[in-house]
Amino acid sequence: MSNSSVNLCYLSASEQALMIKSREISPVDLMEASLERIERYDQTLKAWITVNPESAMEQARNAEAEITAGRYLGPLHGLPFGVKDQMHALGFPTTLGTQVLDEQETRPPYDATVVKKLAEAGAILIGKQNLHEFGKGGTIKFPYGQPRNPWNPAHDASSSSTGSGIAPAAGQCSFAIGEDTGGSIRGPASCNGVVGLRPTHGRVSRHGGVMEAYTSDTFGPLARSVQDIAAIMEVISGQDPNDPLSIPRPVPRYTKLLDGDLKGMKLAVVREIAYVDGIHDEVRKGFEAAIEVLREQGAVIEEVSLPWAKWAVPLQLLTADADVASWFLVNYLRDRYDRFDVGTRTRLSASSLIPATVYNRAMRARRLVREQVLEAMRRYDALITPTNVFPPRLIEDTREKVDGTTDVVPRLILRRITHYPFSLSNVPVISVPMGFSEKGLPLALQVASRPFGESTIFRVGHVYQQATDWHTQHPDLDKTLNIAT
Amino acid sequence: MELNVEQIRVLSEMQGLKIPEKELNNIAIRLSTWLTAMEQIETEMGARMNEVDPIPPVFPREEF
Repeated sequence: MSNSSVNLCYLSASEQALMIKSREISPVDLMEASLERIERYDQTLKAWITVNPESAMEQARNAEAEITAGRYLGPLHGLPFGVKDQMHALGFPTTLGTQVLDEQETRPPYDATVVKKLAEAGAILIGKQNLHEFGKGGTIKFPYGQPRNPWNPAHDASSSSTGSGIAPAAGQCSFAIGEDTGGSIRGPASCNGVVGLRPTHGRVSRHGGVMEAYTSDTFGPLARSVQDIAAIMEVISGQDPNDPLSIPRPVPRYTKLLDGDLKGMKLAVVREIAYVDGIHDEVRKGFEAAIEVLREQGAVIEEVSLPWAKWAVPLQLLTADADVASWFLVNYLRDRYDRFDVGTRTRLSASSLIPATVYNRAMRARRLVREQVLEAMRRYDALITPTNVFPPRLIEDTREKVDGTTDVVPRLILRRITHYPFSLSNVPVISVPMGFSEKGLPLALQVASRPFGESTIFRVGHVYQQATDWHTQHPDLDKTLNIAT
Repeated sequence: MELNVEQIRVLSEMQGLKIPEKELNNIAIRLSTWLTAMEQIETEMGARMNEVDPIPPVFPREEF
């Protein structure tokens, strides 16, 4: 693979778009280079479930013709992307990463609204990306292959939008669309060294997704820069009559609000998350360095206490998981139990036994935890934490051990405390690369703001990226995957 | 709250689920963990929980 091809694939989507617009490169060049990287590396990485190279190349040639004729559609025109295989896209089966479904049940009935909007903006769908079964996390055996971290294939690429984190990190596409119920965009963004956004609930239509946790499900982008994320959000945001929970609110020109510094901005470190017992020392050090960078850019940084944040973890499991289980119990779990991965079916079965009275009490508690988070948002422009408490671990070490009753609640909380307080609160939250562990694995900074505060977290993330170069470092896949050149 | 395998077997049957014997303990531990956490939440927040409705946070109506 030529150096120029590698360099092209590792540019940010925004940089690729400028080169396409100026006709320095053609969408055909970019598509060929992206498909070549899928062909070369995905035998190991397993980021993709279904790819349609012929259709992608045909669309790239059409985009080239349109742009040459002066009909440039905007900054996503001609860019290759993939989507988590949890949303429908005509022409591709919706496998949901499972063996539970029969082949005819994977036929997509229509395009998800995000897929439709991206196509209208000229972006080109390459294919569907690997995920934990039904997007639930905890999968032990992946029917479409074990996804692997491009920085070190022995290490975890996180859950559950796993392929959607790997693919942009490996330069196989310009960006991806994932789904985040508890932390399924931020986890893969963090572990693979890309940017990932969980938008405000209702900001992006969920129509065409197969999720079933209606109080928490969100679609959001993963890409190599915050600027890319802002450009994608301008396209995919907005009310959709097909999603009754989408919000009728104007969509800002996010890309016009990125520049500047952080002077006058008040940020707060969430004490109970950032300094939780058990956080890895390298994560703590990376986070402290990130705080200094933000301070140098003009931000005032204080600490805030959210003593109920830890309860977000069991509360999300007792409510959102129960919602999911109520759907699966009627659909497949009773009559196809054996076809589920053991990690998924035991979690769903346990969730299906949560009493309605407990669910009701947990929903009340969710309101209180959310109110505590929002109260902090009233005092601060954004809250900051590390995205994960550990650097990416060995794959075998990430499998959830359900084996005893000692310290189970603290262990349950530690695994998910960085993610769940913000998903339970349904606020926008972004993960941005903030360095590497001693083993060369990505670490990440998480920035959350008030509902519909995407512009604020984009500003913080963008300014941080202007002051650092973590996001411009990419895995040398021939080396990390030990592929002969 | 610690549930045993027999209790999980009965509850699963009530839901129409036939769980293999070897997986009942896994499910018992998961559910016991969550319910134990809920007991701790009730201790810490229960009085306040009585004062609010369990409204899903899907239509943000805050000032933001």
